Amino acid sequence: MTASTHTPTHTVLRAEGFSCPSCVAKIEKQVGRLKGVESVKVRFASARIEVDHDAERVSVDDLVAAVAKAGYKATPTAF
Amino acid sequence: MNRLQKWVNGNWSVPVVSGVLIIISFAVQRLAGGAANLTVSPQWWLDAGAHATHASAVFTLADVFMLAAAVVAGYGIVVKAVRALLSRVIGIDLLVSVAAIGAVIIGNFWEAAAVTFLFAIGHALEAATLNKTRSALAELVAVAPDFAVVLRDGEQLEVPAGQVRMGEIVLVKNGAKVPVDGQVVAGTGAIDEASITGESIPVEKVKSDQVFAGTASRGGFLQVMATGIGADTTLARIIHRVEEAQDAKAKTQAFIDRFSRWYTPAVMVLALAAGLISRDVVLALTLLVIGCPGALVISIPVAIVAGIGRAARNGILIKGGEYLETSAKITAVAVDKTGTLTEGRPQLTDIVVLDPALNRTEVLRWAAAAEAGSEHPLARPILDTARAEGVAPEGIPGTVTPVPGKGIVSDVGGQQVLIGNPPLLDQYGVHDDSDAAQASESLASAGKTPMIVAVDGTAIGVVAVADQIRQDAPEMVARLHDAGVEKVVMLTGDTRLVAEAIGKATGIDEIHASLLPEDKLDVVAQLQREGHVIAMVGDGVNDAPALATANIGVAMGAAGSAVAVETADIALMGDNLLKLPESIGLAKRTVAVMRQNITIALITVVVLLAGVFAGGVTMSVGMLVHEASVLVVIANAMRLTRNDKHSTAMPKSQRTRIKERETAGEAVDAA
Repeated sequence: MTASTHTPTHTVLRAEGFSCPSCVAKIEKQVGRLKGVESVKVRFASARIEVDHDAERVSVDDLVAAVAKAGYKATPTAF
Repeated sequence: MNRLQKWVNGNWSVPVVSGVLIIISFAVQRLAGGAANLTVSPQWWLDAGAHATHASAVFTLADVFMLAAAVVAGYGIVVKAVRALLSRVIGIDLLVSVAAIGAVIIGNFWEAAAVTFLFAIGHALEAATLNKTRSALAELVAVAPDFAVVLRDGEQLEVPAGQVRMGEIVLVKNGAKVPVDGQVVAGTGAIDEASITGESIPVEKVKSDQVFAGTASRGGFLQVMATGIGADTTLARIIHRVEEAQDAKAKTQAFIDRFSRWYTPAVMVLALAAGLISRDVVLALTLLVIGCPGALVISIPVAIVAGIGRAARNGILIKGGEYLETSAKITAVAVDKTGTLTEGRPQLTDIVVLDPALNRTEVLRWAAAAEAGSEHPLARPILDTARAEGVAPEGIPGTVTPVPGKGIVSDVGGQQVLIGNPPLLDQYGVHDDSDAAQASESLASAGKTPMIVAVDGTAIGVVAVADQIRQDAPEMVARLHDAGVEKVVMLTGDTRLVAEAIGKATGIDEIHASLLPEDKLDVVAQLQREGHVIAMVGDGVNDAPALATANIGVAMGAAGSAVAVETADIALMGDNLLKLPESIGLAKRTVAVMRQNITIALITVVVLLAGVFAGGVTMSVGMLVHEASVLVVIANAMRLTRNDKHSTAMPKSQRTRIKERETAGEAVDAA
């Protein structure tokens, strides 16, 4: 994955502990608040979080931290 | 994050604190005959009239603790409810919040605490168990390789698996994981491919064989040229497919979604109406609690996630919930003969001598000499046998003229050799006075493909080749019948006689022979007109139209083909025939669990509604039953993560251990 200043980086996180569709809104809100995040999509059934973000302004670690703040453990994946 | 923070943010802190407060409240009431239960303030809540559950008209210390318990457990619920309302969703959180707040307003502190506490603990349990239904995917992700040993400038170098470059040589040592998809260029080794194909028996790999990232070496030493890295590996494609499949909604799910969308608001209206008509606040609040559609909403997704995940661990990729539902209804399976029922590698089986002056070897020699320059697939078994018996043709092959549908005409050292069927002999005016036609007939009726050999206008013998029936083929057909498939149909381009011999040996119900590729589609369509739900099994190349027409297209041995993994409705990663009945069985079990779950959820709703109106179901009982039904539904789905008796997956004990497992993430499939 290459990040440049123009194209957003697409990062997929896999999370643990999704129990109800309401977690989705919670995480989308927490991650969406970060500056530099362009879009965030949480897939409930497979417990994935897909984020398009500007890697210069917000790193993958920041995303993981934001998800942790919402109360879920997430790990970035290569694919 | 430190541990305390983690715990506070975790699922269990709220129910634990709330539970402790409830216990303290009861203790205060009981201790020293209630002496410890100090009065804090006079009554401040509204009177619920006949339904008042509060013993005294004062606010006691026990009430304080009980109220605190309700606040601790209910705070998060209320926050969520408000958040949902802001995005115009009326959800379960709102119902519980209204019910709990209502209970507090009329002084039912115990009910408020019980409802919120049960809801919170139910949620924590759901989170833990739901993770288990996703365990199969977690395991797949866990087998992804981390590091690779590459050869760069003659040096062995350890790099992250994602940083191997295409075409580089990677070393796979005994016990190591294969880091990339690639081709063996040197060495031999036994590779355990369970993570990809679900087969537990290691596969011997030699030069030019394909290996897959995420499989593990069980011995030997391989040099592998990387052809796929990171997201471009078969494993990554499998993970993606499984995730997409789990997120895809089944038809039944769409119905349930519609149902729960009006169900919750409808219950709120009902509660309001019931409250207004009966002037009974408690009844109205209780109705609110049981209006939560929890088990309904979750009943199908958990089953699908568990079922599709289980299948993936066994080397079966199913495209989504909808395909599971269709697969469970399959009544007919059409298989392409070659590569499914037979090996697809014809062998020479018979040499019949017709010319008394010649012997077996000489007939073979003539046949081999004639076929030496032929491209036809039937030439190979003849040449292989000739080579094995030391009579392989030498020098430059003569000219070969293929006669489509009949055979070949070859020039061997100036002599004209014909190899083919009786029509070929007719065409070249060869007079059949040595019963060549009869000999070929009897070979054909035994399921072989006969070829008459004629030299300079005289038939000298007949050679026959046959495709070997795969060992598992009869077992596969029998198991398909066991799985509830009425008809197993064979499609083949071979002649009827050949097809019937194979059909007899494997127990096939119906044979369609002498088909051109485009005819296969017509057979599938015809079976559909007869009312069958049909699955078509093929390699995806010649049968693409038929695969697309069938209700379910199944690709065999898909691991080596990116296209098959991406497109087949069901992709069987390995080349194990028994995976086909297994996948139908799994689909049936998953759909059964879906149905059971919906039934459980609906019965819960009906019983609770009846219980409320008949009396006896209080708010806390309602919440208890409701949360219990959700957990039952999840537990039921978890049965799918275990294998049934027909599975060919490997035992859990040999699987890759998952790194840094949280207790909630423990995988649960039984060995």
